[in-house]
Amino acid sequence: MKRRRSLFLHLNQLKLLAKKFALVILFLAALALMLFSKNQNPVLEQSTGATTSLVGAIVDVLVVPAKMLARSYGFFSDLATIKKDNRILLEENRKLRLLKDKYEALEVENKLLSDLLNYVPLPEVDFVSVRVVAEESDAFAHSMVAYIGNKNVAKGDVVLSDRGVVGRVDKVAPYYAKIILITDINSNIPVMTEKTRIRGVLSGDNTTIPKLVFVPLDAEISVGDRIVTSGVSGVFPAGLPVGQVMSVNKSEIKVKPFTTLEKLEYVRVVKYGIEGLLHTSEEETDE
Amino acid sequence: MSDDFEENVVSLFQRLLPVLTSIIFMLLAYIPVNLSVFNNIRADLGLACIYFWMLHRPDLFGLGSIIVLGVVSAAISSALPGSGLLAYLVMYVCVYNTQKFFNAKPFVVVWYGFMALCLVTLLVKWLVVSVFYGAFLPLSMLFFCYLIGVAMYPLISVVLAFMQNKFIQDDGL
Repeated sequence: MKRRRSLFLHLNQLKLLAKKFALVILFLAALALMLFSKNQNPVLEQSTGATTSLVGAIVDVLVVPAKMLARSYGFFSDLATIKKDNRILLEENRKLRLLKDKYEALEVENKLLSDLLNYVPLPEVDFVSVRVVAEESDAFAHSMVAYIGNKNVAKGDVVLSDRGVVGRVDKVAPYYAKIILITDINSNIPVMTEKTRIRGVLSGDNTTIPKLVFVPLDAEISVGDRIVTSGVSGVFPAGLPVGQVMSVNKSEIKVKPFTTLEKLEYVRVVKYGIEGLLHTSEEETDE
Repeated sequence: MSDDFEENVVSLFQRLLPVLTSIIFMLLAYIPVNLSVFNNIRADLGLACIYFWMLHRPDLFGLGSIIVLGVVSAAISSALPGSGLLAYLVMYVCVYNTQKFFNAKPFVVVWYGFMALCLVTLLVKWLVVSVFYGAFLPLSMLFFCYLIGVAMYPLISVVLAFMQNKFIQDDGL
């Protein structure tokens, strides 16, 4: 009887020990996961890709009642401003017609001059419009999940809104893709000022306003300067609008993105036909 | 035979209910809302669910549930993979060691407990991720996420308590 009791005690102690070790192992696994993610482990990427598509589908279903609520709220709030908006739009339309005529004339002139210089134009862009399913914006990450269906979307593709750069595709899973926003801490885009062509890197820091770094010390950058992509790394083509300088301090330059990143329903994933520096993990393993 | 099958299904559903509700609450935080204020301060509702279920039904919410929530977090979030799991483990350890104290205490005390443990969890996560990136992440956003999470805890606990009373029966387990 005593022996049985002592055996039972041993088993209990073992179970307790195993439970304690399980916690330690899990803590270590979490830390290991963080370290492995730095090396873009192909196994890790594939497994997270599979779970992303599953979780993305669930969020896609959950989003329906929330969207209905938001739309009904939007419908009533729009009613109040519809007359004023109409007047503004008519005025804007008039201005745009004038700009269109100007643009067409400039396009003809540009083509003539390009032919004269024997200029090699950039490849035709191919894009798909995708719906935003989930958004993440907190102290730890700024990203979104978009439904891509069967479209050909690859890691590193540029994501644009109607106003400018939104981010880049980070992970592609079946039917869904994760997009890293320009405000995320992992986002670094080579940019330049549109007029003075001063180069720098737009670096996200998980706040809503990214900062401009690696700018020459004697660079003359002032509030209101437009920032566009410089195309240096080869991932983003040159000239895409990114944002406007919001503040210039001795320590940092802050850039407000043109796109309201919090209110995106649809975005364009654009393929510029530029290989860039981003390689998929599969390519890396092949090599 | 069919009665046994039905009983097994019901029992399985009851066992999985805590983790399923936690996943749903976690995913709700990712739904796009056309309000810039809410879009920039999204609370991690998974922490509130872990706290609630660990206090009320620790028998149905073990380390396995934490792993599942960690995997879901890694799948949907673009934050550092593993950081979500780490935060949930910290919350698990904290609640595991304090659950006796919160037992049969008024709701306000339980809520204060969540305030304290959620703060500890988020600060640990913030510190680890900041060390990994070699840069301090914005504390202001973390603070607002924390406030939203704490403010939403009563609502979450009402929903979860309703689910618990409605669907989980002790004799069925």
